[in-house]
Amino acid sequence: MNGTVDMLKEDADFFSPNGKTVLLVEDDGAIAEEIAAELTARGFKVQHEATGDAGLEAALRAEADVMVVDRLLPGLDGLSVIETMRQQGIRLPVLVLSALSAVDDRVTGLKAGGDDYLTKPFAIEELVARIEALLRRPDDTRSTKLHLGPIEMDLIERRVWRNGREIELLPREFRLLEYLMRRPGQVLTRSMLLEDVWQYRFIPRTNLVDVHIGKLRRKIDGPGEEPLIESIRGTGFRLRVPD
Amino acid sequence: MFLTELFRTATFRITLMALAAMAGVMVMQFGLVYAQLEAVESRRSTELLKGEAELLAQMSPEHLEYVIRRRATDDLRLIINSAGLFDSGHALIAGDLRTWPKGLKADGKPHNVEIYPEEGDSYPLRVLAEKLPDGTILVLGRSFHLLSEQKLMLRHTMLVAAVPTFVFALFLGIVLSHRALSRVKEMHEAIDRIMAGDIHERLPAAKERDDLERLAGSVNRMLDRLERLMDDMREVGNDIAHDLRTPLSRVRARLERALSTPAGSQALEAAVGRAVDDLDQCLGIITALLRIAEIENSRRQAGFGQVLLADLVTDVFDLYEPIAEMEDKVLVAKEGEAPCFVWGDRHLLIELLANLVDNAIKFTPQGGRIILGSQRINGAASLFVMDTGVGIAPAERKAVLSRFYRSDKSRHVPGSGLGLSLVCAIAHLHEAHVTIETGPEGTGTCFRITFPSAFLQKVEDCT
Repeated sequence: MNGTVDMLKEDADFFSPNGKTVLLVEDDGAIAEEIAAELTARGFKVQHEATGDAGLEAALRAEADVMVVDRLLPGLDGLSVIETMRQQGIRLPVLVLSALSAVDDRVTGLKAGGDDYLTKPFAIEELVARIEALLRRPDDTRSTKLHLGPIEMDLIERRVWRNGREIELLPREFRLLEYLMRRPGQVLTRSMLLEDVWQYRFIPRTNLVDVHIGKLRRKIDGPGEEPLIESIRGTGFRLRVPD
Repeated sequence: MFLTELFRTATFRITLMALAAMAGVMVMQFGLVYAQLEAVESRRSTELLKGEAELLAQMSPEHLEYVIRRRATDDLRLIINSAGLFDSGHALIAGDLRTWPKGLKADGKPHNVEIYPEEGDSYPLRVLAEKLPDGTILVLGRSFHLLSEQKLMLRHTMLVAAVPTFVFALFLGIVLSHRALSRVKEMHEAIDRIMAGDIHERLPAAKERDDLERLAGSVNRMLDRLERLMDDMREVGNDIAHDLRTPLSRVRARLERALSTPAGSQALEAAVGRAVDDLDQCLGIITALLRIAEIENSRRQAGFGQVLLADLVTDVFDLYEPIAEMEDKVLVAKEGEAPCFVWGDRHLLIELLANLVDNAIKFTPQGGRIILGSQRINGAASLFVMDTGVGIAPAERKAVLSRFYRSDKSRHVPGSGLGLSLVCAIAHLHEAHVTIETGPEGTGTCFRITFPSAFLQKVEDCT
């Protein structure tokens, strides 16, 4: 088993937030402070603005790499900030934070030009995982074959091999593996998987994802083979990228 | 002050309106009597004048002259008030008509003319002039004296009748308004007491004999309903408080103990980790409550579209099958014979079905079976989730659909206790019914969501 040190090393290999700037537009001082402290500890630079107008101004300066914006802000609200920004042609990836959980709130948030939507309260790991996901968008989706270490995936014929040995997967398992293969080395939270792989929100228990991952693991890891899907404690899963 | 209030009551206004209508009717009635009186008198005077003229015309000229002269003193003058015998040159031969009435034609028909006596004011007279065979002209006149007298009498009668009637009606109006006002005042006071917080207070409705009392009765029934709802809310509030207090007290105890744990130790880390888990449970309850409220309040069906129930069944089966398998239970998806389309929100319906399946898996012992599927019953599309679990007693079935209900049997199973409330809220948004039946083999539970056929119709219209 790899120790914590190795995991951090791998982190550094595949994702380095160093130098990446997060523009945080949040009016709640305590939450902003927590988020900023956590992100800084993980190597991000954080630029914090407390109002929509200041946030928009900062976004238009185009210095940040990713923006986290609260939906409800004094003055110019979060959605207007995004809309104005998009009209100006700024393609900065945006994560919308909201205390509202209305069914179509998410839809309006994404329609306004947001790239992801996170409902408060959230675990800080969830936020970090989503920011990282926004910073590295998935690989070219047009390729018909995916390769990652020992795994080879044919997207047209829906077949998977590990070291040349074919693995029989159910369609749902194939979908899950494809999602992981497109995001190697990236931490994926349970709710990200539920939302993106199954398009579900508000499912009664999130350990559903663990069960699905467990089944997939048993199929792709043959006896004696190195486990490919790691569990990240308290957060989610990650597909290991072999050396 | 009190009087203005009185005059502003609905009853008083109605009284005034009735009074005005009554006055109108009275005026009309008297008008008609008046007109009739005039017509009768006119007809009678014509007949009298004509009859008398005919009678007199048959007399010899000498006799006639004698009669006319004498007329001034006999009874005839009560009927024929004026008379005169004129020669062909309109000169008076005999009688009390001194001059030939102005504009009178000797055509044997009655005319109304104005008489100008030598002294005194002029007066109207109904006059008939008849040419006699010897060339003289007989003029007979009847005054309007009688008619005016009758009219005067009628006017007096009207006044004598109307004044007390109106006064009485007004008095009645004031009394009734006062009564209405005091009843309304009682209701106002009752409402004030209710608004001040005494929600057990009710409006005086007696036996609901009239509209005001019936209205008060309706308001009372509304208040009963509201009071029940408030009680429910209070109960839910208590339940929420209780359900939040348990994990929160655990968090508190853990953190307190963690304070005395040496920094950096594994025990501290574990304590904090468990505290976060407990807080997550609290947040889960709050999120579920907000979500139910949000679905219950949403009257819009913006996200609605055509949904094939079999698709939902497949999706939820796919999601839950590994869980059931892991817990050593069998999940079965049943294909319905006829495809069931409904008009609904796909995401919400998935959530509904997932909650039912989640529940069923939780409450089914190891080795049990859970069957989910869609079915058409009497033309209505329905979703069902059956299990071979402990089942729900018929008496408990209604209660389990209410918020936070947990039967004693399920206290040990973790969960927010809100899953079925959420199911109900989503079903309600789709105008669907939730029913609980006994499972197919006489054990366990079968939850059934029956969609209205109107929604089915809508779908068929769209396709």
